[in-house]
Amino acid sequence: MDFDYLLVVFLSSLSSASILIMATLGLSLLFGLMGIINLAHGEFIMYGAYAALTLVSVGFPYPVAILFATLFTALFGMVVEKLIIRRLYGRILYTMLATWGLSMVMYQSVVLIFGTVTPGLDFKQSNITIGDYSMSSYLLYMIPLTVLLLVGLYYLLTRSKYGIMARACIADPQTAAAMGMKTKKLNMITFSIGSGLAGFAGAIILPLVSATPNMGFAFVIKSFLTVVVAGPLALSGTAVAGSFLGFISSTTASFYSSIIGDMLFFTITILILRFYPNGISNKWRFKL
Amino acid sequence: MNISKNLLLSSLLVGSSLLSGDIKVGAVFDLSGGLNVYGIQQSRALHLAVDKINKNGGLNGDKVKVVEYDSQSELSKYTQFANTLIRRDKIAALFAGLTSSSREALRPLVRKAKIPYFYGSLYEGGACDKYTFVTGSTASQALKPVMKWATETYGKKIFIMAPSYNFGTISGHWVKKYAEELGAEVVGEDYLPLTLSDFSPTIQKIQRSKPDFVVALPVGTNQNGFLEQFTAAGLKKSIGVVSTNHGSGNQQIALSPQAGKGIVSGKGYFEEIDNKTNNEFKAAWNTAYGHNEPIISGAVDVWNAVNLWAMAVNKAKTSSSKEVIAALESGLSFDGPSGKVNMLPKSHHLQQNIYLAKGSNKQDFKIVRTYKNMIPEYEESKCDLIKNPTLAKHFEPKK
Repeated sequence: MDFDYLLVVFLSSLSSASILIMATLGLSLLFGLMGIINLAHGEFIMYGAYAALTLVSVGFPYPVAILFATLFTALFGMVVEKLIIRRLYGRILYTMLATWGLSMVMYQSVVLIFGTVTPGLDFKQSNITIGDYSMSSYLLYMIPLTVLLLVGLYYLLTRSKYGIMARACIADPQTAAAMGMKTKKLNMITFSIGSGLAGFAGAIILPLVSATPNMGFAFVIKSFLTVVVAGPLALSGTAVAGSFLGFISSTTASFYSSIIGDMLFFTITILILRFYPNGISNKWRFKL
Repeated sequence: MNISKNLLLSSLLVGSSLLSGDIKVGAVFDLSGGLNVYGIQQSRALHLAVDKINKNGGLNGDKVKVVEYDSQSELSKYTQFANTLIRRDKIAALFAGLTSSSREALRPLVRKAKIPYFYGSLYEGGACDKYTFVTGSTASQALKPVMKWATETYGKKIFIMAPSYNFGTISGHWVKKYAEELGAEVVGEDYLPLTLSDFSPTIQKIQRSKPDFVVALPVGTNQNGFLEQFTAAGLKKSIGVVSTNHGSGNQQIALSPQAGKGIVSGKGYFEEIDNKTNNEFKAAWNTAYGHNEPIISGAVDVWNAVNLWAMAVNKAKTSSSKEVIAALESGLSFDGPSGKVNMLPKSHHLQQNIYLAKGSNKQDFKIVRTYKNMIPEYEESKCDLIKNPTLAKHFEPKK
């Protein structure tokens, strides 16, 4: 086996894992911090992509569009929290049902506004050459970006005042409220950050996939499994589970086939859950 | 108001076909869900055709009425609604289906009900059934000329990228068979699940096997990502991409301009075809629906299907199955938007033009070659429903 091939497989498997982690973070944050299973997660990703697509097509530079798309989905998440989620805290099945319904509304709203096909954007793509192989530079950027995102979130949630209060509100809402924290407002912000992260993922993958109403579906299946494997620690759990599952399935796909890669992804998930039913991070001593 | 309510009620109770003179046709398309890119246009074409027929006085004096259900891009809904259409609505003909799996699920139902079923979509070929009529192009019609052109243009080493269900795997067999006939070689292949969004592994395999061109048959919106990532990796400079379904769901629009550029697709219809019938068809379509997106080949396949059925009903002077099928087998031909199509009595497939078109950098196509009156050779060679009317089989090339 040639060295250049191995290196390309290694790098692209890392970038696949990075994309998986990015697409999962919003979901795992809401699950780990708030105990909410957001079945509309894929549609939040899709909203982020469409928001970025719309902004770029009216002339905004792509990085600005990513920022606005993130803010837009965060704001949208805020509204959703206020109108729907707030009434359902602690009732996990109800939130699942409500967010599932929400996902259908979000999906159809995009079909009605944009139709079934939306013109793709003219991104300037570059590629790098490794020996006999070339790969998209954009895919490579995903690796450091994910690391940055994880570190940034870790600091936000463990070092900032908001982060500490937000976690207190989830851990013990009554005590937190008695200490004078505005638990409702903090929950709203946390939900909005989770939504914004999904929107960010949608906006950032735009040059790699086509924006379509059902694009979220391609990501959510693996994202949900990653969250389940990750367990209660939203950041460290997701980082480890996402890198492991994403890397293994992508490498397997390179050497065998994507079907075997997917099968392995699902088999490993089942095996891990057999031995760690509460997820791998259940007994870890990290804060997040 | 009261009268119409009573009428509605009694027609529900008695079965409306006894009361009214309408000829009912059933439609099941994916109006929502992931396949609605195709389904909405298929349905629109059906309504456009039926409206035109009714405006011209109907068929033998009767109006045509469409009873339609949305299969929501779910296979189980197809059989459920087809059963409802057959048993409750008592339809005279069925127009339905996009994926090969949906067609294969419907085929036994209509066979039992003994009504003509029209499948209006391009596919891998080989369906052979007295009650099934196919108006889309098949592998032996479209894939063969595309591959011949590609081996002459790019070279003789081929990589296959296709979805991992019957359309993809059977088309893969066809690619290998035609490669053999053309003295070319399949150097690699990859069959991918429809939910996949990461195509790096496939792209590495392509670079490893160093093909001259890729036969890419992406299905569904996720697999658009393949062409996007293939382009982003810079492979288009050295490797050609040909397809028989690129553009069938307006992929050329959803893709970025640089990803769509240079991809060669061979199909029965492109909106860019310039002839009088197509211009009239496009004008009628735009009046009815506006022009937000190009008209896809599936829409034209359904348009041709409805018109051929109507011709058969007129010829048979009745809408009852036996006579209509006999009329359909009498060698009907229709002047459609893609040119003249002939319903072949033996195989129930269409002889039709195949167009080879190249993606431009403006998210549309330029037609580079027209193959006139292509016969679906494989279906004609395997399937003879005149000699053998009880035949009901899905023929596949030997592995």
